[in-house]
Amino acid sequence: MAVITLPYKYLERLTCTDRKTILKNVPLIGSDVERTEEDHADVEFFPDRPDLFSPEGVARAMRGYLGLETGLPIYPVKPSGISFSIDPKLADIRPVLGAAVIRGVTFDDESIQSIMSLQESLHWAVGRGRSKVAIGIHDLDAVRPPFRYIAAPRSRVFVPLDYTEEMTMDQILEKHPKGRDYAKIVKDFPLFPLIVDKDDNVLSFPPIINGERTRVTIDTKNILLDTTGTDKRAVNVAVNIICTAMAEAGATIESVEIGGVQTPTLAPAERIVNVKECSRLLGVSLTAPQMAELLRKMRFGAEPADADNVKVQVPCYRADIMHDWDLFEDVAIAYGYDKLESRPPKTFTVGKPHPVQVNAAFAREAFTGLGYLEVMPFTLTSEDVLYKRMQREERAGVLHVMHPISIENTVVRTELLPLLLEFLTLNRHRELPQRLFTVGDVVLDCRTHQQAAGVSSHPDADFSEAYASADAVLHELSIDYTVEESKDPAFIDGRRGNIIVAGKTVGVFGEVHPAVLTAFELEHSVAAFEFDLRAVPGYPAL
Amino acid sequence: MAELTQNEKRLLATLEKEKKTDAPHLAGLLEATPEAVVQWAHLAQDKGLATVERIVAKEFVYTDEGKTYAEKGLPETQLLRFILPGTQLANLQKHEAFRIGFGQLRKKGLVTVEGTSVTKVAGASTDADETALKNPAADDKKTKELMKRGILQECETVRYAIAITPEGLALAKKGLDLREETGTLTREQILSGAWKTKNLRRYDVSKLPKKAYPGKIHPYQRIIGEMRELLLEMGFTELYGGIVQQSFWNFDALFQPQDHPAREMQDTFYLKETLPLPKGYEKVKAMHISGGETSSTGWGGVWKEEKAEQCVLRTHTTCLSIQHLAQHKNPPIKAFAIGRVYRRETIDTTHLAEFEQLEGIVMDEDVSFGNLLGILREFYNRMGFTSVRFKPSFYPYTEPSLDAEVYVEGIGWIEMGGAGVFREEVTAPIGINYPVLAWGLGVSRIAMLRLGLKDLRFLHKSDVAFLRETPSLRKAKGGI
Repeated sequence: MAVITLPYKYLERLTCTDRKTILKNVPLIGSDVERTEEDHADVEFFPDRPDLFSPEGVARAMRGYLGLETGLPIYPVKPSGISFSIDPKLADIRPVLGAAVIRGVTFDDESIQSIMSLQESLHWAVGRGRSKVAIGIHDLDAVRPPFRYIAAPRSRVFVPLDYTEEMTMDQILEKHPKGRDYAKIVKDFPLFPLIVDKDDNVLSFPPIINGERTRVTIDTKNILLDTTGTDKRAVNVAVNIICTAMAEAGATIESVEIGGVQTPTLAPAERIVNVKECSRLLGVSLTAPQMAELLRKMRFGAEPADADNVKVQVPCYRADIMHDWDLFEDVAIAYGYDKLESRPPKTFTVGKPHPVQVNAAFAREAFTGLGYLEVMPFTLTSEDVLYKRMQREERAGVLHVMHPISIENTVVRTELLPLLLEFLTLNRHRELPQRLFTVGDVVLDCRTHQQAAGVSSHPDADFSEAYASADAVLHELSIDYTVEESKDPAFIDGRRGNIIVAGKTVGVFGEVHPAVLTAFELEHSVAAFEFDLRAVPGYPAL
Repeated sequence: MAELTQNEKRLLATLEKEKKTDAPHLAGLLEATPEAVVQWAHLAQDKGLATVERIVAKEFVYTDEGKTYAEKGLPETQLLRFILPGTQLANLQKHEAFRIGFGQLRKKGLVTVEGTSVTKVAGASTDADETALKNPAADDKKTKELMKRGILQECETVRYAIAITPEGLALAKKGLDLREETGTLTREQILSGAWKTKNLRRYDVSKLPKKAYPGKIHPYQRIIGEMRELLLEMGFTELYGGIVQQSFWNFDALFQPQDHPAREMQDTFYLKETLPLPKGYEKVKAMHISGGETSSTGWGGVWKEEKAEQCVLRTHTTCLSIQHLAQHKNPPIKAFAIGRVYRRETIDTTHLAEFEQLEGIVMDEDVSFGNLLGILREFYNRMGFTSVRFKPSFYPYTEPSLDAEVYVEGIGWIEMGGAGVFREEVTAPIGINYPVLAWGLGVSRIAMLRLGLKDLRFLHKSDVAFLRETPSLRKAKGGI
């Protein structure tokens, strides 16, 4: 999530209202106020609205929402006369380039910080960590057009930002902090993307680092914006968001020529939306003029096309408007969620529990009737708990998660019993007897099913208790079973049995092996059993 | 007043006559040991019916040697009696008391030896010693001497004087039932009717009971069960499905772009296993690339089958809802699931890598965003939250989207879950032609608040004492 710092004074000046009004209303357009400080507030905006990742963008939206300035904001663009060429060899590396010239900026430390943070938020939300889009901001007056976006040999040298010495691009990936952070995006390409000026001065090695030469300072008056990436739409959105934010701050925007096309245009996109469809979706009754007015509050250009339709101009910075319903959400926000009539649907339906959960409830009832206490262990565990301590072989169908968070969470459980023993370990200091059970999901070969297991720990726990308890629970679930001697190494030889249903082993019971008890650091004997709930007659197939 | 035991009654009845006496005497009368009598007397004392006075006395007792002397006289006394005028030392030496007695006589200067004969001095007497032996006294010099010689020993004796109080006397005067008490009734006593004449022992209800621990449902499972019942009451069908899901159903079918951050390795548990894509997956693919046949633009870019085939531990239960919809296209559909979901989070007191999520969907002709607000309001009200409010939010597969907040006394407004209308990009490719309202909430969050837990892990690594102590019936106040 993007948390944006909003300095009150700047925001008040841009919004033309006071901070109290802003803070009260900013959550109503979709945000969470994280904290309020003496001179600023930190506000979290959703990733689908990168146009709100700057004080300028927030002010633009707030002016509309508060009715101070509604409708489509217009951003004039004139050609700068500057051009870019693109090296065809970049086609498989990083083919898309967007650029713009931003003139007449007045920077101070705070506003430089503000644009840097907008850039970083865009890298995260639109750029997917710079892989899809990377943005560079340069002092235009430090270099000479025309500019070239080329695929350069990795041995090419220049002075990267924050350094004084020349480095090769390979060295930058190895030594520069940004190089190390983002090396994975480019390191497999034979040539690296590079932006140079007429005199071969390096502006940028996208998506890694800019050159030191074009560093933006408080003396910078004119900016060259470069945006490179793999996705044309995302690159354009990033350019549009930065340009319109800078324009809101008072700068003028000029286009550049890339491959014969002037860009950006900052022109809106058009959509015709149906008023009835919107009313139906929201559950309100709107007319075309009402809907147009609500949309203008959200800074869209909107006029009724006829009684049933509204013609909408979508500002170039609204990356999230993909579908008509995206506009309908803005209508709802402008209308106010709390003003919408909330009423449950009228259709009559009958509730129906899932048979798996019905069976689980019966199993729980049987266990609690026997005095067993329910526990709900985690489903992620380790091979050590599941197999090694149980003296069991690893199951063939066990699933290993690819990037576990710790050695205690490497596999999805295939049995419940080991987790119950772990529970006894956890509660060693508590009064005995302890009788614990659990009913829950296990996974084998990507398929989930439910099992039930119980343990009883006290000085007199033995085979007979395990057999009697297992028998009682199985009987309560109408499971017709037979028993044969088991070979499960988790139990003592001669004190273990397999539960057989229709010729298939569906469970096991017995007296837990002393070596297993020792492995779980337990001191008293444990009578235990576990079985597959799919043995319940008429169990649903999954 | 607390009930009297049978023995206390017998004691009081005896004391009624004796008034005040010592334990051994009472023991004789009650045919019990003095220790037992003292114990009963203490019980009666606790009820203010008797007093027990502990009397500690110092007493001199004879050692084994002393016992003989008490009978025969001290050795010196015996010798003194034996000495007559002209008694020969040799004769005297034959006396059994000579060894100790003669030394004593010499020491005390009661005899003189001249040549071979022994003579008493004038007025020689051991009377004072004998008196001390018969009646020892603590400050008597002779007694101390005898103690030094190992003839007398001093020891403490504890005596109990038991007396009846005026209250006890009043109670005894009213008459006490002194029949023998019966504890547990036997089968014979019940069948024969003998119980009618038995004096059934009365038990003291002011005492704490012995602890018994029932088997019971986990308090967290109870909360889950409560929500489940609530949704069944509201006419929803319960869903259940696998923990392992294809990325296709977990992400792609929900219009999550393949390069979405939530799909990255650091947020989702991936498995190396893959599953073949379902029939008709191409519609989802087309939706991602270009918006299919809807007014959507789609995400653009590329969509890779390999990415969709990869299995994950489900990151939400929405994957169950969408599969249910794909199989049930005719309205009305009202369904819910409560199931464990997985996020690759570092585990701490408020974050778990696996937790329960509740998810509900409603699909019908002409259901609206306003209906969604209505369902949520009803649902949260039934959970006990009387104040509910909504604000805009963002979820990749819903539009419009909202977050619901409820007011909790003492805490304030807290976020309870997200909701929205499934995007057409989600419903169109699986052939759903009606709006689908969907909402979800974190069940563990409510459980943590309700159970007053400071650590979420406690739900899954519970202390048995906590489970034993948490009552099954806990009335939630204001939803918590």
